[in-house]
Amino acid sequence: MTSQAFPYLLLPSLWASRNRARRRQRGDLTRGLLFGGVGLLVGASLFQGAYWLTAQLESYEDLGDYLLRLGLSWLFLSFLSFLAFSGVVTALSTFFLSEDLRVLVAAPVPVRRLFHARFLRTVAQASWMVVIFLAPVLMGIGRARCAGIAFYATAVLTTIPFAVIPVAAGTLATLALVNTFPARRARDILMLMGLLFAASLVILLRFIRPEQLLKVESLPDLTDFFATLQSPITPMLPSFWAGESLFASLRGGGDLLHVAALWTTALAAVVLVRMANERWYFTGYSRAQESPKARFTRLRQLEFVVGLLPLSTVRRQLLIKDLKIFLRDVSQWSQLLLLMALVLVYLYNFRVLDLERIPYMTAVVKNLYAFVNLAMAGFVMATVAVRFVFPAVSAEGAAFWIIRTSPVSLRDFLWSKFWTGLVPVLALTEVLTIVGNEFLGVDPFVKSMAALAIIFMSFALVGLAIGLGARYPRFDADPTQVAGSYGGVAFMIQAVLFVIVMIVLLGWPASIYLFQRARRFPLTAPQQMLMAGCFASAAAISIATWLISMRSGVRALHQMGD
Amino acid sequence: MSIAIHDLVKTYGAFTAVDGVSLDVQPGEIHGFLGPNGAGKTTTLRMIAGLLKPTSGRIEVNGHDLAKDPESAKASLGFIPDRPYIYEKLTAGEFLRFHGGLFGLNGSSGNPIGNRVREMLDLFELSRWENELVESFSHGMKQRLVMSAAFLHRPHAVVVDEPMVGLDPRGARLIKDVFRKMSERGVAILMSTHTLEVAEEMCSRISIILKGRIIARGTVDELKALAGGEADVELTSVFLKLTGGSALQEIDEIV
Repeated sequence: MTSQAFPYLLLPSLWASRNRARRRQRGDLTRGLLFGGVGLLVGASLFQGAYWLTAQLESYEDLGDYLLRLGLSWLFLSFLSFLAFSGVVTALSTFFLSEDLRVLVAAPVPVRRLFHARFLRTVAQASWMVVIFLAPVLMGIGRARCAGIAFYATAVLTTIPFAVIPVAAGTLATLALVNTFPARRARDILMLMGLLFAASLVILLRFIRPEQLLKVESLPDLTDFFATLQSPITPMLPSFWAGESLFASLRGGGDLLHVAALWTTALAAVVLVRMANERWYFTGYSRAQESPKARFTRLRQLEFVVGLLPLSTVRRQLLIKDLKIFLRDVSQWSQLLLLMALVLVYLYNFRVLDLERIPYMTAVVKNLYAFVNLAMAGFVMATVAVRFVFPAVSAEGAAFWIIRTSPVSLRDFLWSKFWTGLVPVLALTEVLTIVGNEFLGVDPFVKSMAALAIIFMSFALVGLAIGLGARYPRFDADPTQVAGSYGGVAFMIQAVLFVIVMIVLLGWPASIYLFQRARRFPLTAPQQMLMAGCFASAAAISIATWLISMRSGVRALHQMGD
Repeated sequence: MSIAIHDLVKTYGAFTAVDGVSLDVQPGEIHGFLGPNGAGKTTTLRMIAGLLKPTSGRIEVNGHDLAKDPESAKASLGFIPDRPYIYEKLTAGEFLRFHGGLFGLNGSSGNPIGNRVREMLDLFELSRWENELVESFSHGMKQRLVMSAAFLHRPHAVVVDEPMVGLDPRGARLIKDVFRKMSERGVAILMSTHTLEVAEEMCSRISIILKGRIIARGTVDELKALAGGEADVELTSVFLKLTGGSALQEIDEIV
């Protein structure tokens, strides 16, 4: 039996992180600056937002205090559910699916020691995002209230047990799940449940219509609204304890009872999970190794439908393969549910937009919103492209040798990926734009221009995503990691810049046209030339982005064997 | 000549992995490609398969220059890598149909891919797994599926990297039989292997590579003679002698 304490088992991951940090690769500095810059920007915005909001609330005295207290409680409540879910998913990987478990379980390591090491890793992996988000927010609140060192100490003392409790609950849930279902099936079920939960939450939050709160006439109902936010079980939750402890220290006092409640519950939770783990871990781990016949949908209709398309054999087979792999991977297609929810909310926003309340300006505002709609559709396009189109080449994974050794040119392969990505992106954003503009009732000229612009933008952004995806592939990563990689971030920056340029090039001439029409003046020859020049430039930039990106993608694929 | 490589070089910075290798494999020949770990076998095979670009040198497959006409060269080649990575979310049948599609085989009456897929699944004893996802396959089953794919389009030449890894004795026997049958039908097979008994049993000629260079080539008997051994000496001894395996003698001392 090994005599080392449990931190010894964490050494491989620490060494791996150290080696990753030591390894120098081309583009490290750019990557560091890019991610560091974005991180600093987000952190500074969170700090500034929390500072501003807390400072504003201070001017409302008792009501401000009440809202701050409620806000803290809700902030922690939302993190509580996130941490619990994240704990379930992370524990599934760290305790049951991780490759290195084969070495550790086979070694004479006591289950308790393995549990300590794995649980620590699970807590760290599941909660780092929450901690990174919380730190600037709490610092902003503390700064606005001129809080002393005691507040920051309390923040550390509450955040640690607050993170441990839901992750322990999540780990326990995973242990139960794995002992009931095979681990890989459990992962699919979890993924689906989580996304359904997120999608329904988005829809629910939107349909509550929080903008009603901003209307002066609805103020008498404010107290009723807040009353609904409180429920009898809230004081029983760790989020409430954390909020109360922090609020007390913010006012210069202390709330030892709630801090103690957090720590004792955290310790009790760890002991409980450890006991359950000692009893059921090996059974669960053993089940996770079993590979029963996988259940899946045959998708025979898909082959029939694709067979009807006028495609070459190679393109048809590539399309069938890509669609089947996507539709059989729950972690992939289930993200479409979240996307659908966001689309519904997006369109609903335009439906409830009450522009008729602004007399005289309605027509101008409507057309202005049409451009907001176009810009939003562009950003939706970029987001969908980075998540679903950019990883298209990386999705070939270790099986890419099959394509590279077959008599298919890499150009054909990449163009096949392009068309597969283009059709859904174009369809989705066209629907968003056309339906959104229909709800707004914008000018027919703007409507047609937006619909045409979306076609050009789709070609450009899908081309850019495919091209950059081929230049920066990550064959060893899952699509979510690929989307968040250096290439993914580089794509997002270029895509956002492209959308801004397009909006300027289209919005300016369109505004001249609308303005002249509103004044019932005909367009002058220079104005017509200016409009034509802007539209032609927009088209040229789109086509150039599309073709240059694809060409550089093909070149990058060819250089892969160098 | 089904496979012909001329003065093939592959360098990674200052390191030369393959250093002027020339080789030819005739139709119907099973050519063994032996060498210790890191000698340059896999790099050479990956260059022939079109996965790596040579630093210099020329590769021809069935008369087609791989650099000038890669599609024609690849169309007449089958490649079996050492690790069988396949699309996990496809069934065995779907994977083979997809692979056939890449080589221009389709489901029309003139080119009946369905029948060919079933033939290959039968041949490699995978018929009952036709409609199961690859992710539920063992390593050996995946290996056999990759081999089915390599022979699906009736290639003129096949490049195989470590075919016996992960196969049970029955699987290994099956693969040997298939390779023999294919070579009898004129398919040229270039096979790297560490299993010297397999090389001795199956290969008509063997090339031994060390530090990126071919150090010996010939039939098994010619290699034995080259190493100065008797006819009944095992190929392992010849291999160790040619590749400098004398360090193994120290094992006894260490153990």
